[in-house]
Amino acid sequence: MHHDNGIWVSSEDLAREESFLQSAEQEFSVENIDQTDGKWQTGRRDFLKLMGFGLGAATVAASCEIPVRKVIPYVTKPDEIVPGVANYFASSFVNGGDYCAVLVKTREGRPIKIEGNSLSTVSHGGTSARAQASVLSLYDSRRLQYAGKVKEGQVEKIDWTALDREVKAKLAAGGNIRIISNTIISPTAKKALGEFTAKYPTATVVTYDPVSSAALLAANEQCFGAAVIPNYKFEAAEVIVSFGADFLGTWISPVEYARAYAKNRKVAGKKGAKMSRHYQVESHMSLTGSNADNRLLIKPSEMGAAIVALYNAVSGNTGGPVPNEKVAAAMKKIAGELTNAKGKSLVVCGSNNVAEQVIVNKINDLLGNLNTTVDFSEASYQRQGDDRQVERLIGEMNAGQVAVAIVWNTNPAWDVAGDQFKAAFAKVGTRISFNGVMDETTALCTHAAPAHHFLESWGDVEPKAGKLGLVQPTIAPLFETRQAEHSLLEWSDSTNLNRQDPQPYYQYLKSHWASEIFNRQTKYGTPAAFWDMSLHDGIFEYAASGVSAAFNPAVAVDVNGVSKPASGEVEISFYETVNIGNGQYAHNPWLQEMPDPVNRTVWGNYLSVPVEWDQKNINGWKGLEDGQQVTVEANGKKIVCTVVRTFGQAPGSVAIALGGGREQGGCGVGYGVNVNPMLRTEGGFTQYYVADVKVTPTGTVDKDYACVQHHHTMGVKGLQDGKMINADEAVLAFQGSLTDRSIIFQTNLKDLQKLEDHLTEFHEETTHLNSQTLYPTNEEFFGTGLKWGMYVDMNSCIGCGACQVACVSENNVPVVGKKEVKRHHEMTWLRIDRYFYGDIENPRVVYQPMMCQHCDNAPCENVCPVNATNHSMEGVNQMAYNRCIGTRYCANNCPYKVRRFNWLDYTTADLFPSNEERVFHVEGEKTPYYADNLVRMVLNPDVTVRTRGVIEKCSFCVQRIQEGKLTAKQEGRAIMDNDVRTACQTACPTGAIVFGNMNNPESEVSKATKHAGELAYKVLEEINVRPGVSYSAKIINTNEELFS
Amino acid sequence: MLLKRICWVFTLVLATSCSLLAGPTKEAGKELFSGNCASCHAKDMKTASTGPALAGLEDRWSTFPRKDLYSWIRNSQAMIASGHPRATELWAKYKPTMMSSFPGLTDEQIESIILYVNDPGAPKVDAANTGAQTVASEPGLPWTYIGLASVLLLLAFALMRIVNNLINVTRVRDGLQPIEKTTKEILTTKGAVAFFVFSLVLIFGYKTVDNATKMGREQGYEPDQPIAFSHKIHAGINKIDCQYCHDTARRSKHASVPATNTCMNCHAAIKKGTISGTKEITKIFASIGYDPMTNRYISDYDTWSEKQIEDLYKKWIGQEYVSTNSLTSLDEAGKSLVESQWDGIVKALRDDTNGKIQGPIEWTRIHNLPDHAYFNHAQHVSVGQVQCQKCHGPVQEMDVVYQYSTLGMGWCISCHKQTEVKFTDNPFYKQYNQEYIKFHKKEVSKPESEMDKVFVEDIGGLECQKCHY
Repeated sequence: MHHDNGIWVSSEDLAREESFLQSAEQEFSVENIDQTDGKWQTGRRDFLKLMGFGLGAATVAASCEIPVRKVIPYVTKPDEIVPGVANYFASSFVNGGDYCAVLVKTREGRPIKIEGNSLSTVSHGGTSARAQASVLSLYDSRRLQYAGKVKEGQVEKIDWTALDREVKAKLAAGGNIRIISNTIISPTAKKALGEFTAKYPTATVVTYDPVSSAALLAANEQCFGAAVIPNYKFEAAEVIVSFGADFLGTWISPVEYARAYAKNRKVAGKKGAKMSRHYQVESHMSLTGSNADNRLLIKPSEMGAAIVALYNAVSGNTGGPVPNEKVAAAMKKIAGELTNAKGKSLVVCGSNNVAEQVIVNKINDLLGNLNTTVDFSEASYQRQGDDRQVERLIGEMNAGQVAVAIVWNTNPAWDVAGDQFKAAFAKVGTRISFNGVMDETTALCTHAAPAHHFLESWGDVEPKAGKLGLVQPTIAPLFETRQAEHSLLEWSDSTNLNRQDPQPYYQYLKSHWASEIFNRQTKYGTPAAFWDMSLHDGIFEYAASGVSAAFNPAVAVDVNGVSKPASGEVEISFYETVNIGNGQYAHNPWLQEMPDPVNRTVWGNYLSVPVEWDQKNINGWKGLEDGQQVTVEANGKKIVCTVVRTFGQAPGSVAIALGGGREQGGCGVGYGVNVNPMLRTEGGFTQYYVADVKVTPTGTVDKDYACVQHHHTMGVKGLQDGKMINADEAVLAFQGSLTDRSIIFQTNLKDLQKLEDHLTEFHEETTHLNSQTLYPTNEEFFGTGLKWGMYVDMNSCIGCGACQVACVSENNVPVVGKKEVKRHHEMTWLRIDRYFYGDIENPRVVYQPMMCQHCDNAPCENVCPVNATNHSMEGVNQMAYNRCIGTRYCANNCPYKVRRFNWLDYTTADLFPSNEERVFHVEGEKTPYYADNLVRMVLNPDVTVRTRGVIEKCSFCVQRIQEGKLTAKQEGRAIMDNDVRTACQTACPTGAIVFGNMNNPESEVSKATKHAGELAYKVLEEINVRPGVSYSAKIINTNEELFS
Repeated sequence: MLLKRICWVFTLVLATSCSLLAGPTKEAGKELFSGNCASCHAKDMKTASTGPALAGLEDRWSTFPRKDLYSWIRNSQAMIASGHPRATELWAKYKPTMMSSFPGLTDEQIESIILYVNDPGAPKVDAANTGAQTVASEPGLPWTYIGLASVLLLLAFALMRIVNNLINVTRVRDGLQPIEKTTKEILTTKGAVAFFVFSLVLIFGYKTVDNATKMGREQGYEPDQPIAFSHKIHAGINKIDCQYCHDTARRSKHASVPATNTCMNCHAAIKKGTISGTKEITKIFASIGYDPMTNRYISDYDTWSEKQIEDLYKKWIGQEYVSTNSLTSLDEAGKSLVESQWDGIVKALRDDTNGKIQGPIEWTRIHNLPDHAYFNHAQHVSVGQVQCQKCHGPVQEMDVVYQYSTLGMGWCISCHKQTEVKFTDNPFYKQYNQEYIKFHKKEVSKPESEMDKVFVEDIGGLECQKCHY
C-alpha cells in the first residue's frame, strides 16, 4: 500500500487529523501550561504593580555601583596555555566497549568540547552523540566526590589510605574475589588486573556488556577459534543483510561502521552510479533499519527462522523453522543477490543466540565473505562480555562463595537480566564499587572507591588489533577520586606502582608502553620519543599480523537450535537507544533531550506499537493513541508505560527501549520505566525479546509524554472542501508555486535519471518564478569576498544525532527539561527531521538535519522591528541577542521553523531567582540545573549565554568563522576549508555536512554542491528566500521486486 | 516699545545660535586635545606631565598678541629661535624637552583647544577606595541652551500677556468685564499643567535614556592596585615594549595581565625600586616565593606558614634599610618601616578565600567589556596593527592606569569607520576584490574620493555578529 502524497512525519499527518493540523500550526503548545496556580494570569492591578516594580528596579539598578572585578594572572604561567586560546589534546572516549578517538578542546585548562580525531583509522574523526555529550558528565555534581563507606545510599567519607587498609584486610582474609566489569579494551588496565589476580589467586574477572554480544563471541570461538568480533568491512560490501544488528546506531562500533557504510551510499549526481544494497530484517525500526533499502518485517521470535530461511536459500539445504511467507519468499531473492555478489557481501546478526550466529557465520563462509568483508586480521575487542559468567556469578554469590566483589564501571544491579542479581549481591561480604556515581549497584555496596571521569584519567585502549590509543587527562581531578587501575595496583601491593610520583598510574602506563608496545614499531628509536608522538597523536597504529580465518569444518550448523517462531498474539522486543544506551548514559541531560531518531521522543522510554492502516484511516494498534498508557505483562513482570505509534513496527509486536526508569545516580532518575527485570536468559545468554506479552490499555494518559514529532513542522497541509491543500494556500492561492512545498526529494537508484530530469525542470521553474521579483538580486552583493554556505548530503546522513549534540555543546544551547519540551520549547539549533515515505505498512525514512538556512532573502530579517536579525556581507544571517526584544515575529515568519525563543531563563543567566522556578531541575533538587557552577564550566566562553526573552538560532558557528578568519589573516593567506569547520560538520561520522566558502570554486562545499549537480536543491526553493544551505536528494537502492 | 524689545531679543538669540553653529567649540577642542596634546599635557590641566599644566594658559599669554600663542603652538622652536620673551622663558624652564610642532592646526582649532583647556569638564574622581564606578561626567546641558530656553519661555509669557491684554481690550470695547486671573489661576489651567507634565516626561525620559546608555561605562576608572606598579617607569622611562609583558595581546583575544614569573625576568636582578625601594618589589617576591637574599626560589614555598614568610621578607626589608642608610642596626624609624611594608604585603597579597600570602596577585580589573561583546586583541594588535595607545591612551605616562576610552559601542563604531584596512599588505584580502569593495561602497553611498580606500566598515566591520554572538 503506497501513500500517494510523498512524505509524512506521523500517523496524524498521514490521516490529516485535526489534532495534527492544530499541533503543527501552533508553533508553541499551550496545553501544558499549568493554569491552576493562577500564576500565569495577570490582572490590571498586577500589571500596574509589575510596571511600578520595573520602574523602581530600573532606577535602583541604574544607581548601583559597578562591582569591582579582579583579574588574577598566573604565578608561573604554563608554557602551553594562552588565556583565550583553546588547546586541543588527543585522547580517547571510552566507556566499556564504546570507543571513539577524540580531541578534547580545553580553554584555560577546562575541557569544553569533544571533537573527532581524524588520525584514527577506526573512527576517522567521526564521533557519536554519546562521545559528544561525555564532557557534560564530567561536570556533574552528582558524581561521587570522595572515597568512603556506603551507608544508605550515601558515602561516609574516609580517606584513601584508610580505605586501602580496610579493603586490603578484607582481600587478604581469603575467600573468592570477583571483579565485575564491562568490556575492558585497555591493555594496561588488563596488566593491572593481572597483577591483582596474581596477588589474590582467588580473584577472577567477570566481564559482561550492557547489551550483550556474547553469543556472537561464542559462535566465533566455535567457528573460527577466536572469541573476537571480526573486522566487518561495510565499505567493501555490495549487498548487506543485517538480522537485527543496529550497526549504524548502537551495535559494537557504530561510528566506524557508519563511515564505512556511507562510502557506498554517496551517489549524488553520478549517472550510472552504483550503490550498495542494504536489507534489514527486524521487528522494530532501528536507526539502521530506517536507513535500509528494504526492510523485512518479522516478529522478534522469527529471527531464527529468517536466518535459517536465508541459510537454506544460500546453501540449498532444507529444514528448520520457517518465518512468515513474505519473508520466506524474499529470502530466496536476497540469497540470489548475495550469491551474485560473492565475496562482496556481508551478513551480520545482532541476536544473542549462538546457533543463529553460527549459521550467519556459515552463510558468510558460503558466500566467500571470510577474509574479505569479514576480516579477522584487525579483529575488534570492543565486546568481550560473557553473560554466562554473570549467571554463574549469581549462583556463586547465592551460595555464599564470594567474599569480596568489586564492581568496575558497570551496573549489574541495574542491567543484569531479570531481578536475581540484587538479592545475590547482598550475600557478598565486602562489596566495593569503582563507579563514579551513586548508581543502583554502588548503593548496594559497602565501599565506594570512585574512579575518575575519563577526561581526568590516564589510560590506553586497543579497540581493534593493531589500533591503539591513549587516554590522557585534560583537567586535574575535580574531586578526590582515584583511577580504578591505581586502586587495584595499590590493593595488590604492586611494586611497579611508584607511589611517590604525583601521577603513579601515568608512570605505570608509560612503562607498560615502553616495555610492551614500543617494540611493535620501528619508526621511533627511543621509548620516550615513541611515547611523546603517540600521546600527541592520541593513537598508535601498526599493521597487525594477518590472520586468515577459516570456518571450522567440525562445527555443525544446527538449524533447529535457533529461536522458534512463537504463537503468542503479541511479542515485545527491547532495544538499546542511540542516545542513552541501555541506561548507562541516562544521567546525561544532553543525551536525554536528544530525540530518539525514529520515535522522536525525549526523556524516557516509550512503547512502540505498530500503526495499522485500514484503507481510510489509522486506528492505531488496538485503538491506542500516542501518550496513552498501557500495562505490559511479560516474563512474569508488569510495567506501566506510555505508547508511541511507530511506523515500520512489525504487526503483532511491540518494542520498548532499555534504559528508562533509572532509580539512582543522577539526572536520569524518574524518566521512563525500567524494563530490565523483563529480560530473560536462554542458556546463559540474555534475550532481548519476550514472545508472549499482554498489553492492556489502562485508560489513562501520560501527561508528561514528550515527543518532538509535531514541533516546528514545515509545509503544513490541511483539508479544505475535502481537498488537500497547504495551509497557507488559502491565503496565497494565487501564487501557484506554494501549493506543493519541496522539502524532500527522493527516488530509487534506478529512477535517478527521472528525478534528475524532474529536478532540472523544477530548478528552471523556481529560477523563473524567483526572478519575477521587485527586489534586486543578490549575486552582485555576495558574488565576491567570502560567502559561507553548507551542503548536506542526505544520502550520507544516517540520523545518528551526533551533530545535534555537538551543536548543543558548542553553542551553549540549554537543556530545558521534559515539561518544556512538551510545550514545544526545546532549544536545539539543529534538529534532525525524520520523514517517512513509500509503503505505509513498511515505509522508508529520510533524515534531514535542519538548521538556520541563512537565507540571502531572509523573511525573518525584514519583520524584526528592531533590526536584531540582519544579514552579513558574508551571507550569514546574524542574530544580535542584546538587541532582541522578543517579539518573535522572526520565528513566526521563518519558513523552516528554526528559530528558538527563550521562554524562560533556561541557563539561569539573570539575577532574579523567581525566574528560576520553572526551568530544568534535576528530580528532587532545589537549585536549577544550570545554577550549579560546576555545570557552567562546560559553557563555551566564546558564545554568549542567552537570557530570557530573546530569540536564538544557528549562527553557522560564527565564533569558529571569526577564529578561522583571524588565523588566516595572521598567517597572511586566503581562508582554507580547514580554518572553519562547524561543530555539526566535525561531529558527523559519515561526512554528510560540508561547510565553507561558496565563492571559492576550490572549496569542499563548492565542489560537493557542484558534484551533486541537479540533485542538489534548496529546501522550499520556490519561495525565493535563497537559503545558504543545499541538500542532496535522497537516493536509495530498493529492490522493488522483493515482495512481488 | 514691546515690539522693539522682542526684536532685540530675537537678534540676541540669533547671534547666539549662529555662534553655536560655527567657530571654535569645546567639543572640537576636546577631540583635538586628545589627538594632539594629551600625550604630553595632563588631561586635568592642573598637573604637570611631560609638558606643563595648561590651566591658565590664556592668562600667561595675555600680555602678548593672540597670534604669538598660535605661532608658539604651531612651531615653538622657531619662536624660541626668534627670541620671543615668553618663549625663551619657557625654554629655560623646560629644556631640553621640546614641544612637538603642529603646523597644521588652524587658528580656529587652536581656539577650540583653548576653550577646552579653560573648561575641561569635571576631573576624574578617585574612586579607587570605594571601587565605585566613576564616569567622567559629561558637561550638562550647555548654558547657551538653558539661556535660550529661558528667553523663549519669557517670550511665551510676554506673548500670553499680550494676547490676554488684547482679549481684555476687546471685552472692554464690547462692554464686558475684563478677565483678571491670579498667577495661581494661570498656573493651574489645563494647558499649563499639561505643559508642565509634558516637560517633566521629556526631561526624565531624556535623562533615563542618557543614563541608561552610560550604565556600566567606566571611563576614567582609576582604582588602587595591590602593587603601585607604574607604567610610566616601565613603559615610559625604561621603554619596555607593551607586548613584552602583555604578550598574549598579539595571539589571543585577551591581553592578559602578566604572570608573576614575567615580572621576575627582570626583578630577580632589580630588587629595589628607585622610588619605592623594597616597598613594592618585595610583594612580587612574596607572591612567587623568591628569596632576594640568596637569589633563589623557595621550592616548598607553597607549604610555608605566614610566620616564615613574614620573617624572611622582614629580614630582607630591614637589611636593605640598614645598608641604604649606612646603619649598623635597625633604628626605630626602620622598625616602623619594616612593619608598614610588611602590612602592605599582607594587604596586597592575602587571598580572601584561603588566607594565604603565596599565590597570584589579584589586580583590580580596569577595562571591563560586557559579556555579550566580543573583542579580540590579536585582531587589532597583530592584524590591524593598531597601537595600544589608540585605545588605552598614553599608558606610558600613567603612574596609575585609568580607563582612557569609553569602551562604548559608539566609540568602537566610529573607529571602524575611520580606520583603513591593510588591504593590499595582507594577502588575506586578496579573496576580496576591488569590485566587491566598490559595490559595498555604493551600498552605503560613499563619495567618489573615498572609493580607493578600504575602511574596516567596508569589509563588514560594523556588522552585529562581528562582536555579538
